[in-house]
Amino acid sequence: MQTFYTDLLCIGGGLAGERVAVEAAQAGFDCIILSLVPPRRSHSCAAQGGMQAALGNCAMGEGDNPDIHFEDTVKGSDWGCDQEVARLFADTAPIVMRELAFWGVPWNRVVPGPATYFKGGQKFEVYEKEEKAGLITARAFGGTAKWRTCYTSDGTGHCVLYTLDSKVLELGVKIHDRVEALSLIHDGENCFGVVARSLRTGELLVYFAKAVLIATGGYGRLYKHTTNAVINQGTGLILALDTGIVPLGNMEAVQFHPTGIVPTDILVTEGCRGDGGTLLDKNGYRFMPDYEPEKAELASRDVVSRRMTEHMRKGFGVKSPYGEHLWLDIRHLGEKHITTKLREVYDICQNFLGINPVHELIPVRPTQHYSMGGVRTNKDGAAYGLKGLFAAGEAACWDLHGFNRLGGNSLAETVVAGRIVGAKIVEFLKGYEVDIKTQYATAEVKKQEERINELKSKQGRENVYQLRNEMQEIMMEKVGIFRNEKDLQEAVNRLQELLDRSKNLGLVSDGIGANPELAEALRLPGMIKVALCIAYGALQRKESRGAHYREDYPYRNDKEWLNRTLAYWEEGADLPTLKYEPASKVFYLPPGDRGYGEGKVIPKDDNTEEKE
Amino acid sequence: MGRTLQFEIFRYNPMDPNSKPRMQTYYLEEKENMTLFLALNEIRETLDPSLQFDFVCRAAVCGSCAMVINGRPGLACKTKTKDLPDKITLHPLPVFKLIGDLSVDTGIWFRGVAKKIEAWVHTNKTFDPNALEERMDNELANQIFELDRCIECGCCIAACGTARMREDFLGAATINRIARFYIDPRDERSDQEYYEVIGTDEGVFGCMGLLGCEDVCPRNIPLLDQIGIIRRKMAIASTGGKVGRLFSVFAKKKK
Amino acid sequence: MSVDATVETYKGHRLAGWLDWLQMLTGLTLAVFIFAHMLFVGTVIFGANAFNWIASFFEKTYLAQIGGPILFFIFLLHGTLGARKMPFRTKEQKLIVRHAKMMHHRDTWFWVGQAVTGSILLVIAAIHMWTVLSDLPITAAKGAQEVQNTLWALFYVLLILCAGFHACIGLYRIGVKWGFITRATRAKALKCIYILMGIYAGGELILLLRFLSLKV
Ligand SMILES: Cc1cc2nc3c(=O)[nH]c(=O)nc-3n(C[C@H](O)[C@H](O)[C@H](O)COP(=O)(O)OP(=O)(O)OC[C@H]3O[C@@H](n4cnc5c(N)ncnc54)[C@H](O)[C@@H]3O)c2cc1C
Ligand code: HEM
Ligand code: HEM
Ligand code: SF4
Ligand code: F3S
Ligand code: FES
Repeated sequence: MQTFYTDLLCIGGGLAGERVAVEAAQAGFDCIILSLVPPRRSHSCAAQGGMQAALGNCAMGEGDNPDIHFEDTVKGSDWGCDQEVARLFADTAPIVMRELAFWGVPWNRVVPGPATYFKGGQKFEVYEKEEKAGLITARAFGGTAKWRTCYTSDGTGHCVLYTLDSKVLELGVKIHDRVEALSLIHDGENCFGVVARSLRTGELLVYFAKAVLIATGGYGRLYKHTTNAVINQGTGLILALDTGIVPLGNMEAVQFHPTGIVPTDILVTEGCRGDGGTLLDKNGYRFMPDYEPEKAELASRDVVSRRMTEHMRKGFGVKSPYGEHLWLDIRHLGEKHITTKLREVYDICQNFLGINPVHELIPVRPTQHYSMGGVRTNKDGAAYGLKGLFAAGEAACWDLHGFNRLGGNSLAETVVAGRIVGAKIVEFLKGYEVDIKTQYATAEVKKQEERINELKSKQGRENVYQLRNEMQEIMMEKVGIFRNEKDLQEAVNRLQELLDRSKNLGLVSDGIGANPELAEALRLPGMIKVALCIAYGALQRKESRGAHYREDYPYRNDKEWLNRTLAYWEEGADLPTLKYEPASKVFYLPPGDRGYGEGKVIPKDDNTEEKE
Repeated sequence: MGRTLQFEIFRYNPMDPNSKPRMQTYYLEEKENMTLFLALNEIRETLDPSLQFDFVCRAAVCGSCAMVINGRPGLACKTKTKDLPDKITLHPLPVFKLIGDLSVDTGIWFRGVAKKIEAWVHTNKTFDPNALEERMDNELANQIFELDRCIECGCCIAACGTARMREDFLGAATINRIARFYIDPRDERSDQEYYEVIGTDEGVFGCMGLLGCEDVCPRNIPLLDQIGIIRRKMAIASTGGKVGRLFSVFAKKKK
Repeated sequence: MSVDATVETYKGHRLAGWLDWLQMLTGLTLAVFIFAHMLFVGTVIFGANAFNWIASFFEKTYLAQIGGPILFFIFLLHGTLGARKMPFRTKEQKLIVRHAKMMHHRDTWFWVGQAVTGSILLVIAAIHMWTVLSDLPITAAKGAQEVQNTLWALFYVLLILCAGFHACIGLYRIGVKWGFITRATRAKALKCIYILMGIYAGGELILLLRFLSLKV
């Protein structure tokens, strides 16, 4: 058995994992990054839009500062976020953007002079100041008072990830790609490392570390339709959940984006609607104004997604071999606008649909996009429950986003949290010695070996892909945009059945080497557990907050539900154990009206004590 | 629609002592808007779960899914079956180490060359968290971005005859990467220092202008324009500036 | 990267750059020569006298006696430099041909063509230069006599084809490799190269026919 020792083990080579690794390596600690794929292929590379930081350099961002960024974030979260974290985040973001510039990110810069922009398809002109020339500029994103999203053309995630990865190379961080962490090695108090499997050879590997970071990104692939990469299966969350003592926070908070294309579910930007695109049904009828007379297609992400789903449920969806969808119409914007301002959309349509959006309709439907929930940590990024375990990025519930994250805040979170948590890990590592108890590793390896041998023995009858598809369908249909008691209960029941059946998985193929079927079979039971955390958490949360919308409880209920769900999985259980903690220790910004969305609120009664 | 597609797929599992390199045939009903991403996944899920291939973003931005499609290296995720004939032949990318079937190890290869050319910003400055960022012309930022768009898919390496003949050839993507740092004022390396890492027969002087790289690059990066610039700069550097002065006027204009 | 170490290793390193210069410059010289050569031999169109006059001019000024060997040297130098890039081992040869087939890619085939014609040239151009230079003076009569022999005629046709293809594609490749031909101008440049090839082939054909018709 190959065994590796290191100070910090980063599970995940996306933006979050690499930023933390840079911090530790700069402080002189030995660091290994594990990743399913070469780090540069992590899903962070797919983010195009940009990341938020209150630099206030561009004309439309003038007067911006971290206070406003903080407020936008808290409102966006529907008061579900940890306000201390939001504060820390907003204050640190500008420094991190500058640091990235220093390391080589080619941020777009302010060009002084008159500039023409679009808003809601309407042209307007502003004057960019001479004194700001050459500083980092920003663009508009939803839910923000100022233009504050820093970007590099339409490749922000790509450029930042490549820059960080080059930094990681320079600092000599060891990268072990095509390695999948399977389980944590711990004694119930301290975390010692992980047992992993090589996706090149299929061998098991052991990693011992003083500190372990989970930065494994989102879990979009629990859903049938997601904008996430195919590797975003939530395997990092399984690591934490399987310990039985590390909780996942707010798993029911799942964001859907109105316009993923059909099939392949690739995201087309909100800019289409922002610039005047409309949504049509199977009869070519523009339905949004019927539901939202005022804002129509430009209502917030969650609202539009809900209305689209509602309309399809009424039978107005377009049937296709890949399921029902609606149309996005941008034809009236004209060729010039589409090939310049919406070039990326144009390319996606050409490349993946073989259609020309100048003349043809784009098939779209609401698609899972982002997971606010994740491994619950404190504001230092230390996971609840195990010493030496940390988490950052989309996989973590640091809790910056509460029940709804703002566009541009998640990419920013990865690097800002990376810097802050990285520094805390360095602090933790200094002078820290842990008595690594190898017997826990031996036991864990044995457990994984047994699972693999059992799968290879082909005794089981259940097909991996069939079970996985069933899970994805349940999640999409029952734990999607609209939620209600009946559907959620059904989802929980059926997921429990699946979990049971997953104990009887058998391979069709031989399982030799880097066999993909075996890899999937090893993940599946854990994925179903994570799905159950989402479904069960949603079933229990009897209110509507941010992206979590209950048809049977349409109000945000600050009286009873201004809190965060913590989901634990006890060994042998068939449901998570849910606990709750206050959404925030401090409320710099007291709960109030967001200023957008339906927004009916049952206010917090100040006289009663907070619900535990 | 309604075609039945015939897939001829290279199969070999190096971890299995009984496995031998061979071609295997699969038949699949074509669907509307089908891409090779959808087709290969369908094959795996319904016909042969042991089939190895790599997809991550399935949106042509991560560079994972490059393979040889009917003779040409390309990204499988953005290849639509309707643009292909009834018979589709798939091979793994040559040059890179084979992991199994259609899956190759591009990650280690690219990290290897990145280390060789020290593909990071070299500077003697230290970051000051309290200072404003250094200013940069937006036009220059855009130029750097244009070169930074390479997704390290490996198509250009697999399409290069030189790379196939010479194992140590750094390849077009790597020279392009150097060009990216070369125009970036934050990287303080001198021409001589760049020469160190790229002015060799494994580097820019190894390129014989076969143009395969440029013709397959899914990101449409003007690779030869970059190779030309770097070749001129490095050739000039090799003379220690003597011949260089003659040509530098021209070279500058080009840049 | 330490500065001292850089300077140390840098000196020995410069070779690659110099060799690339040499390869380009020798190729360029040879290509230019080939066209000049065509014009020179082309004087035969105006009759044996014109040709002989030019030939004797070259000899009287010692251009042939000195220039010839120098060119021969350049030719060998270029061949040696080119050889560094050529696939010698059968494994490599198979690889590059398989590769070109797989890609069915024009520019890759061009290079294969260059390598093949280069190898042929190494032999036949050397023979040609040897026969001409070792038997001065150059006269139209000698040339005609040679060309009218079938075997030699075939030899020259091969030489024309190889030299023309190799030189024209060589020029194109210089443009591509050094970035003078950019993505934007590639199609146009290629067209120019085809025209150049046409001019060369046409010119050589006329001139060959003229040699054939020359009474010995
Ligand atoms: C299409 C799209 C567009 C987006 N655009 C924006 C945007 O414009 N602005 C914005 O703010 N946000 C955007 N987001 C969200 C943002 O991109 C992500 O939240 C963020 O990139 C997550 O980064 P990360 O480092 O946490 O995870 P990732 O980048 O997903 O990295 C996860 C890493 O973990 C590794 N890993 C996972 N599991 C394991 C395991 N078991 N063992 C070992 N390694 C493992 C993976 O290999 C990978 O390296 C977008 C998201 C999508 C899907
Ligand atoms: C001795 C026999 C010859 C051999 C073996 C030979 C071989 C080669 C090879 C392999 C190349 C490609 C090098 C590369 O791509 O890096 C090349 C380039 C070239 N050759 Fe030749 N060649 C020979 C003779 C000639 C002759 C007689 C001419 C002129 C008519 C010529 C003109 C050129 C030119 C212009 C180039 C392009 C230069 C460059 O790419 O830098 N060669 N030769
Ligand atoms: C210094 C060197 C050279 C001299 C003096 C020279 C001279 C001549 C002369 C006199 C002829 C006329 C026919 C004959 O007399 O046999 C001829 C023909 C020819 N030469 Fe050369 N040559 C030289 C180098 C080359 C080279 C390097 C090439 C090509 C690579 C070349 C290609 C040809 C060809 C193709 C012909 C036949 C067609 C024609 O007549 O133009 N020559 N050369
Ligand atoms: S240069 Fe183009 S072909 Fe080469 S690796 Fe980059 S994106 Fe791929
Ligand atoms: S194909 Fe290869 S030889 Fe040069 S032009 Fe491209 S790198
Ligand atoms: S899967 Fe990412 S480029 Fe094809």
